[in-house]
Amino acid sequence: MNEGREELDDLREAVREFLAAKSPETAVRAAMETGHDPAVWDQMARQLRLPGLALPAHYGGDGFGLTELEVVLEEMGAALLCSPFFGTVVLAAQALLAANDKAACERYLPGIAAGDTIATLAVAEGSGSWEPAGIATRAERVTGEDAGWALTGKKSFVIDGSIAGLVLVVAQAPAGPALFAVQSDAPGLRAEPMTALDPTRPLAALTFDQVPAELIGAEGEGGQLLNQVLDVACVALAAEQAGGARRCLEMSAEYARTRFQFGRAIGTFQAIKHKCADMLARVELAEAAAREAARLSDEGAAEFPVAAATAHICCSQAYMFAAAENIQVHGGIGFTWEHPAHLYFRRAKASELLLGGPAVYHERLLARLGI
Amino acid sequence: MPDDVREFARQVREFLDAHATRAERAEFRWGQGEDTVAYFNADPPDVKDVKLRAAKDWQRTRYENGFGWISGPPEYGGQGLTPVHELIYHSIESEYDVPDTGTLSVIGLGMIGPTILAHGQPAIKDRYLPALYRGDIIACQLFSEPGAGSDLAGLQTRAVPDGGEWVLDGQKVWTSIARQSQIGMALCRTDVNAPKHKGITAFLVDMSAPGVDVRPLRQMTGGSDFNEVFLTGVRVPDDHRLGEVNAGWRVALTTLMNERATVGGDRGGTVAEALAPERLAALMRATGTLDDGALRRDLSVLLADLLAAGHLNRRAVRAMEAGVTPGPERSVAKLMHAQNLTRAAHFVSEVLGPRIIADTGEWGTYAWAELLLATPALRILGGTEEVMKNILAERVLKLPKEPGIDSTSPFRELPRSGKAAS
Repeated sequence: MNEGREELDDLREAVREFLAAKSPETAVRAAMETGHDPAVWDQMARQLRLPGLALPAHYGGDGFGLTELEVVLEEMGAALLCSPFFGTVVLAAQALLAANDKAACERYLPGIAAGDTIATLAVAEGSGSWEPAGIATRAERVTGEDAGWALTGKKSFVIDGSIAGLVLVVAQAPAGPALFAVQSDAPGLRAEPMTALDPTRPLAALTFDQVPAELIGAEGEGGQLLNQVLDVACVALAAEQAGGARRCLEMSAEYARTRFQFGRAIGTFQAIKHKCADMLARVELAEAAAREAARLSDEGAAEFPVAAATAHICCSQAYMFAAAENIQVHGGIGFTWEHPAHLYFRRAKASELLLGGPAVYHERLLARLGI
Repeated sequence: MPDDVREFARQVREFLDAHATRAERAEFRWGQGEDTVAYFNADPPDVKDVKLRAAKDWQRTRYENGFGWISGPPEYGGQGLTPVHELIYHSIESEYDVPDTGTLSVIGLGMIGPTILAHGQPAIKDRYLPALYRGDIIACQLFSEPGAGSDLAGLQTRAVPDGGEWVLDGQKVWTSIARQSQIGMALCRTDVNAPKHKGITAFLVDMSAPGVDVRPLRQMTGGSDFNEVFLTGVRVPDDHRLGEVNAGWRVALTTLMNERATVGGDRGGTVAEALAPERLAALMRATGTLDDGALRRDLSVLLADLLAAGHLNRRAVRAMEAGVTPGPERSVAKLMHAQNLTRAAHFVSEVLGPRIIADTGEWGTYAWAELLLATPALRILGGTEEVMKNILAERVLKLPKEPGIDSTSPFRELPRSGKAAS
């Protein structure tokens, strides 16, 4: 439901058309093997201006809000687009904005908005936790001629960590966790792709050995910054999840209409109908949660952090449910490598756990509610 | 917001400031306030009567000030404005302390009024519409029968023509507010040789007519919110017929579609208050379970769904305000509502432990039994979960209907409970 806002429908239509042409299943499968298609990234930036869509105009963006970005991310999730968009535009750009560092924003955001910079945010380590307390990577002050900072440690589960030119890192500085910028070709930095459950979103392990880094924002404010970034990341991820769940539902409904067994379309059986209706209910709920959270963010509403945590939970559940039920509706064909159902299953599970998973996100909601 | 809407909102506030007081929401403290979590009205009869009187008086005040039937046509006492104005009125009114008019509005004003308007004969509209919206009379819905629940079109109450009138015989069940109502909208079988949807006619029945016998039905909570209505030789003038003879199914669809349109007016009440996050947290604190990891997880799962359902409803209201008509996907909200309340009641039971199987007298504990015992109804009333899912699958997802003969065979040939096909 679009609440009668036609410009959002137009945006959705434009992105959907673009992705239907540029990210069909064949392209997704190709990207799973060889990585994202730089030509598509380029077109997204130059033709649709998507990377800068929700970035402030004074940093080279178009100044729209999370509401518009949410629509784009729903479509990207539905198409399983393989792209550094989430890591660059959501994680990295939001970390820069949250750091409240004007100089750093001026230095890095225009490149992101224009599509010239691929960036990412490295937080989690071996355990996958996004809690500042779990961060062991150290930042030490370097004195003398090359005065600055040096990072030492290991980050895991870094989205697009092998291809990002700019890596933002949360590390422990003497005064507490802080955000640092590292260039991917800096000496002492080694990136290794991880074998990932969801090959449509590549992850890497980054090893830092005295890597020169630039402090972004203030030392010791990394925890506060992570909370802010997580709220936006939760909504952005929720949007992708809602879009993916909706696509699973569409695939199931289409199959239920056209697959015949016992002389009837299987969609005539209530066992299948009710499965699809259950998926629809979860999908509608998920979309409402993601879209409402985005709206509340744009309004600067006090309830935004609660809505963001809610969206992350509802959309994680909806996507996992829809992806699993989609395979069940399809039966044997849904379990084959050739069928796209497993790609959604993989994305659903990886997305559910990307930011910590149920063990963390339930307590996050309660914390945001003050419980 | 367009200027005329802004001006309307100003008038609404002016009216409410003059006739009501702003609601003051007292901050919640554990152990203070009303100790009730009731889905169904658990008031004793004398309290119910007082509240009904207040509701009727308030509806009359609304009507006399031009807010009784905002979207209705002026010739029948309406203001000729749009459903958007209606929504705006109710959203502003919710900031004030006014009597709950649900007994009048949910069925009578929300569903039957629009049906009379669409299908009633002119004299009937003149006679009943202003009276309904002025709060003088209340209407109920005589639809379900012991043999026609999910399959409403399988109803068997007969209506036979007799000298310019109709004679009704049969039994209706699950009729809310039958005892308070002056008129009832009855669906009756008028042709047993036609397929089931094509032999039904709708009538307005005078609830005080001879042969109308209303008997309270005691439901599993122990209360009586519904009735059985026996119709025995009840005579109904032909001008009280709604729509054409045998076209009653279309008339019924008008009524049921208006049920969907009333979603925005979801009442808060004691249940919504009790399910607020801070209230549930207070309950866990009071019972010493706030640190229980398993219960915390359950709480979060529950709250996420409750909050998201709230977002779904808010977005639907906003869409309607923007002029978008709610579609069948609104059934999702009903499914979620039933599911969430059911889950909430069982979650709270787990938090309370034995305190919900016997009343210790402690505030805020055994009161939940009332909600717990109401939850099975939520998956049945207003369309069972199973029927709602069929509707979602067929109307929204366009899945094909189950093949069957019940929509094409003459009604009299259909197998019924206790009368299998020979």
